[in-house]
Amino acid sequence: MSKDNKKTSLRYRLLWPIRNEKWQPITIPVASILFSFIVAAIVILLLGKNPIQAFYNLFQGAGIFPKATYAGYKSMLTDFLSLLDAMTPLVFASLAVAVALRAGLFNIGVSGQMLFSGFIATIIVGYSGLDAFVAKPLVLLIGMIAGGLMGGLVGWLKYKFNIHEVVTTIMLNYIAQYVISFFIHNYYIDPVSRQSKYITEAARLTLVNFEFANLKMDIPLGFILAIAVAIFVKFLLDKTVVGFEIKAVGSNRDAAKYTGIKVGSNMILAMIISGGLAGLAGVTYYLGDFASIQPKVLTSLGFDSIAVALLGNSHPIGIIFSSFLISIIDQGSTYMSSQAGIRQEIASVIIGLILLFSACGAYVKHKVSRLKEKEVDRKDSES
Amino acid sequence: MDTIIIDGLSFALPLFIMAIGGIYSEKSGITNLALEGFQGFGAFIGAMSAVLIANASGAAVENMFYVALIFAMIGGMGFSVIHAVLSIKFKANQVISGVVINILALALTTFLTTQINALVFGAASDKFRLGVSERFTIDGLANIPVIGAVFTDVYPFEVIIIVIAIFAWYVLYKTKFGLRLRASGENPQSVDAAGVNVYKIRFSAVLISGMLSGLAGMCFAYSISAQFSSGIYMGYGFLAIAALIFGNWRILPTLAACLLFGFAKSGGMYIAQAMALPSSFTDLFMILPYVLTLLLLIFFSKTNRAPRALGEIYDKGKR
Repeated sequence: MSKDNKKTSLRYRLLWPIRNEKWQPITIPVASILFSFIVAAIVILLLGKNPIQAFYNLFQGAGIFPKATYAGYKSMLTDFLSLLDAMTPLVFASLAVAVALRAGLFNIGVSGQMLFSGFIATIIVGYSGLDAFVAKPLVLLIGMIAGGLMGGLVGWLKYKFNIHEVVTTIMLNYIAQYVISFFIHNYYIDPVSRQSKYITEAARLTLVNFEFANLKMDIPLGFILAIAVAIFVKFLLDKTVVGFEIKAVGSNRDAAKYTGIKVGSNMILAMIISGGLAGLAGVTYYLGDFASIQPKVLTSLGFDSIAVALLGNSHPIGIIFSSFLISIIDQGSTYMSSQAGIRQEIASVIIGLILLFSACGAYVKHKVSRLKEKEVDRKDSES
Repeated sequence: MDTIIIDGLSFALPLFIMAIGGIYSEKSGITNLALEGFQGFGAFIGAMSAVLIANASGAAVENMFYVALIFAMIGGMGFSVIHAVLSIKFKANQVISGVVINILALALTTFLTTQINALVFGAASDKFRLGVSERFTIDGLANIPVIGAVFTDVYPFEVIIIVIAIFAWYVLYKTKFGLRLRASGENPQSVDAAGVNVYKIRFSAVLISGMLSGLAGMCFAYSISAQFSSGIYMGYGFLAIAALIFGNWRILPTLAACLLFGFAKSGGMYIAQAMALPSSFTDLFMILPYVLTLLLLIFFSKTNRAPRALGEIYDKGKR
């Protein structure tokens, strides 16, 4: 009996970092991140490479640590700005998933909504030659409206015809992909790159090769907006009636109905907001870094964002941190693979592991509280 | 006309068997968005085994089809253990678990494919070449007008799928296990009260879905794509989920949904070719299955209802 007690107490002591319930929303993701890096380190060791070196290269590539040498006009700052550039659409897309999740809806169509809004903004503003001060806000506005319409359609079909949102969004993903590919191939194709023609610099949401202090950097204008929108979404969900109603519909549809909340219109509203956020992701993606659309390809970012949203506990501020981490691993992987000679794909394996371990979060929480109870019992019996 | 039926069937049937797996899992109460990952991982294990065994024995990889099929089913089943453990033992959110598994499957299989290619074959390649499995025609029956196409250029896997599908239908609706499985998704407490372990039922349902998805993935790899690469993740797993929701979580209506997908897909291609339009126009006809589905759902989904306990973590103490 006493031996068993000791074992419990050892396990209890080992778990000290994640014991405090108040901090668990932060400590459990951090623990799963550490754990997945340990597993990845073992894999890299098995491949006969140095894991510490590899991880250091990963962070160097993402602009967190300085590289040994830089090409002309490049520095750690330019790398870091590229990281933020890549992170921007991911923040928007994850927020889109999170808002829908809070309303109990599963928006699997973020990729399609991104493509649609990116395309609409590209053809209306991208080739128009408008002035930058008009074009850039217009791009954001059009992206938001286009995405919101598509999201709203999903919500409306669900409300009006009881069509499951997972089916609708999957179907719309395919439809958007093929129809847009048709239009690009017939009207907007660049014969050399086999993509849509590049949009004007004025319409782009990333300032490319901006020269400053002898550096050429890409400045992601959308990034500040992404942070602001994340804070706004947090405010919307936590402090407003709209947010409360959306969350009420998400946590218990019947209870919400009995208290007089309009379930249907709140579902549609949540999908419009979600789609609008996906639209912002679309324009910062297609009219930011890339400036062109590859036909017949749905970006995997829309699906990754589901995981990023979940890693961030569907919490807007958590999402900023989780997208930051995932973007670091994504962006740094090229440099890591060239420096350490490890295949780039290991980066996505690490991301997958992080998500896998964080999915076990609820179980860990449950186990820890069980251990805690046991520990209290043990202390009681001792005294 | 014949090509519509031939191509349509060879696409619809793997989709159907994957959807059956999904029905098993969802009917037992476990939301399964992981079909995409299961089919990809299953196809990876199958393709890897086929390529490695062919390499060791010197046989042609095209002839390894049945070996690959068996390994794919084992692989899909093995991978589905993760979903089962996460969502049943660890009580994780089933949607999260499914999405994570899809991402992990894509990452792991692309990573391992390049590693194995580099280690065993010394080639920097991200795919396993498989070729297309041989097809057969049943002579007498193939001469019947229209229906004859069903018996022309049949992939062997289509026969296997039909046999398994009939068996799966029987098990789900006519056996004690099937009854318990369906009850687990509607009212797990009553199943528990009858002295049956709900966790075990759900666990086996998820494993079945993994096995059938692996089979489907291998069929896709040996027919339309003729290789294993990350291109196997075309979203067919999600299409299967759409089909089973369209079919209201029942096997026969789901078959109808899958056939609709298959024939609309091949029909669209056929129309585009018959009208001799430039190739860029085929994209417009490719949307046919998806638009049709949405339109039909507007008429048919009013009465659709998911299993009552779907996605709910089973809690013994709950009333």
